[in-house]
Amino acid sequence: MTTAALPMDVLRRVSTELPNDRLTPVREAALARLQESGLPTTRQENWKYTDLSGAIEVVERALEAGSDSPGADSVQPEIDAVRNTIDAHWLVIANGRITGETPPDLQAAGVEVVRFSESSAIPSIDEPLAALNAALLEDGLFIRVAEGADIDKPIAILVIDDTDTTPRMSQVRVAIELAPNSHAQFVEYHLSSGTAEHYSNTVIDLTLADNAKVEYLRIQNRSLNHSQTERMNVQLGCDSQLCHCGFDLGGKLSRNDLHIDIVGAGANASFNGLFLAGDGQHIDNHTRVDHRVGPARSTQEYRGVLSGACRGVWNGKVIVHAGADGTDAQQTNHNLLLSEKSEIDAKPELEIYADDVKCSHGTTIGQLDEAALFYLRSRGIDLQHARQMLIHAFGTSIISKSPLPSVAELLRELVEARLNELVASDAK
Amino acid sequence: MSTESENIESFVNRRYEHGFVTDIEMDTLPPGLDENVIRAISARKNEPEFMLEWRLRAYQQWLQMKEPTWAHVRYTPIVYNDISYYAAPKSDKDRPKSLDEVDPKLLETYDKLGIPLHERARLAGVAVDAVFDSVSVATTFKEKLYDAGVIFCPFSEAVENHPELIRKYLGSVVPQRDNFFASLNSAVFSDGSFVYVPKGVRCPMELSTYFRINAANTGQFERTLIIADEGSHVSYLEGCTAPMRDENQLHAAVVELIALKDAEIKYSTVQNWYPGDENGKGGIYNFVTKRGDCRGANSKISWTQVETGSAITWKYPSCILRGDNSVGEFYSVAVTNNFQQADTGTKMIHIGRNTRSTIVSKGISAGHAQTTYRGLVRVMPQAHGARNHTQCDSLLIGKDCGAHTFPYMEIRNPGARIEHEATTSKISADQLFYCRQRGISEEDAVNLIVNGFCKEVFKELPMEFAVEAQNLLNVSLEGAVG
Repeated sequence: MTTAALPMDVLRRVSTELPNDRLTPVREAALARLQESGLPTTRQENWKYTDLSGAIEVVERALEAGSDSPGADSVQPEIDAVRNTIDAHWLVIANGRITGETPPDLQAAGVEVVRFSESSAIPSIDEPLAALNAALLEDGLFIRVAEGADIDKPIAILVIDDTDTTPRMSQVRVAIELAPNSHAQFVEYHLSSGTAEHYSNTVIDLTLADNAKVEYLRIQNRSLNHSQTERMNVQLGCDSQLCHCGFDLGGKLSRNDLHIDIVGAGANASFNGLFLAGDGQHIDNHTRVDHRVGPARSTQEYRGVLSGACRGVWNGKVIVHAGADGTDAQQTNHNLLLSEKSEIDAKPELEIYADDVKCSHGTTIGQLDEAALFYLRSRGIDLQHARQMLIHAFGTSIISKSPLPSVAELLRELVEARLNELVASDAK
Repeated sequence: MSTESENIESFVNRRYEHGFVTDIEMDTLPPGLDENVIRAISARKNEPEFMLEWRLRAYQQWLQMKEPTWAHVRYTPIVYNDISYYAAPKSDKDRPKSLDEVDPKLLETYDKLGIPLHERARLAGVAVDAVFDSVSVATTFKEKLYDAGVIFCPFSEAVENHPELIRKYLGSVVPQRDNFFASLNSAVFSDGSFVYVPKGVRCPMELSTYFRINAANTGQFERTLIIADEGSHVSYLEGCTAPMRDENQLHAAVVELIALKDAEIKYSTVQNWYPGDENGKGGIYNFVTKRGDCRGANSKISWTQVETGSAITWKYPSCILRGDNSVGEFYSVAVTNNFQQADTGTKMIHIGRNTRSTIVSKGISAGHAQTTYRGLVRVMPQAHGARNHTQCDSLLIGKDCGAHTFPYMEIRNPGARIEHEATTSKISADQLFYCRQRGISEEDAVNLIVNGFCKEVFKELPMEFAVEAQNLLNVSLEGAVG
């Protein structure tokens, strides 16, 4: 159970040491909000299965250490390496600091990238982790895609953190707005290096105006002593389309909250995820879709592979509000448990206040199908390879749902590499 | 079909027919709850010292607990000190030895309810232990059961005659501090049923109890304990009706089932308490803790429930699958109309090896009602080969109602196979159209579809209840169609 309280005085001091700019009043409001609410504990229904106390300890120690963000200097080779793997317009947030220039061709394509401190954007503080984020936020990225624009290649946001000897934390804030009839692709890539503990807290707001279209790929491949929480709020206008896919491959603790608010009729949200957890990992995916108007459609499929002493959590919630007739919502969740020490907690929730709806969910939890294993073995494939084939087939089916064909190859390599590690540790 | 549509016509205009008050002098404690009330209840029932201590311990624990708020129901707060915790018919001390001695007014009550106790019991071969308010008044077929070695008696009698069984099993499935309402029940329970089926005995008849809340402002707190010893089998039926009242009445029961090695318990409920009127006024608050413990290997506990009544239902009949190869089942139909709210479901806790559980839940909401399925499937690390299949479907009739599903799955064994599926929809337009174009009226068609929707659960009910359940369903949905 989490009872750890944040050292508010230290938090306040660190917050006030940030530059005095447009964000200062928001930081103060966020501190007040945080003082009132505290951080989530396992006594709260939404955090029942995920204990943040480990991450909060990192926050405390990082606050005490109080070292300034080293920026991008220490991770430049990693940044360059990643930039070479995906052909995209790159934006980099290194150790919580926005670094480098905005690619000039982005503006020509109809995308405006500014900082929170230079724009009218105000970070939300309604939720405790968002308040923590706002209170310690150095600056955020505000991306606006112009009406009718169709961006030629993905806009990639690299979030990279490194820790040498002292624990650190970083706050990442991005707001994305798509004007009507625009189309863009995004890649959000979380990486880390270093041996000390780290906690990263990301908040992303994505707003799609009428008839806008977004393909969004999120990859989290942090090292095993780095924890992160991420909250993404999406608002979908009339006839807008979102195709989101998330991959959690690393991280000690990874908690993702994806909230989709459907406010326009005809909107279509498809979101999928794959999480691969090995020894010592805890991966939690919480999704929530608010169908406020109909007709609209949401489909989601999450898959998890768990091996070693680890825990996976999936909580999908669909709320169909009164009057949202013509809603079609589907949730699917499949989990593969490979080890005696792994645990999965799944909770598919439907809350429905309208009658003209079609909602369903399906969840399965189990080990590899004995019959399928036998089939493969009867054809001369040894047990280890047979297992490997089935696990890969289970895990990679989400890749086929990934919305960015240009990144599919890289994704496949990453997933296969991680799956091989899991299978190897399982075989031991 | 034509008779059925006539039925619907009459249902539409029908008011809650079990809403009447029997005018019998009551021996009632004044409202309020403290240790003296508990001592008084215990004294009136001539309980041994250990029971009083047990009750007082529960009361102390209850004082430290908070009323739960997690359920998806809203109601005006219950003032626990405004409730009278004991009501018994006056003739309590010299209990009737046979039906002839039973207060004629009581028998009249059962007649009005359509339960001709003496006739029906014999005709249907059912032994009826009727709880009228808080004290069991008449028990039939006792001797026949006695010959088979089955103990079936009011709880208070069991405390007197079989204290060793009570001491051994009471609170062993639902401990005193299990939850707020179970604690309250443990402190103040007035009566209920006790069943013990000895080793290797197959209970010769279905056991049935009719609970009935009668006196105004009196909470009813039954406690049922069923023990099926090794290799035995018992089927228990419970049905409920309550008089029409404007004031909300609290009902907090506890049911404990214990199945030892190779034993099987089947527990069926048809709950038809006063649901409140069409404006949501009145109705029973039903907060029930029901739990079965499959303590021995190869044991089986099966819950079947049809919930059509009560303003608020808060009920999660559960199975603890402790014995290897034990089986838990939960079949439920929950129907809500007007302003009823039901938050119901089950818990299946897999502890033993190769334990299996099945959950089939059907929720139907109409009017402004809210139906919630809330369930937990937990597989402990040692439960190798555990298997669960869950299916929960919801049907919505009308645009102002709601249907919700909150299933929890906590799985810690890789050998477990867990499947869960749920759907929510309104009555399919295609199905309706198909029926309509074959000349079936809309109401008949809806009735047909709804009954079909629930069939999977109804077929689990004992025959005499299956018919009653279908009728109840139609009555409950009256005015919701069209």
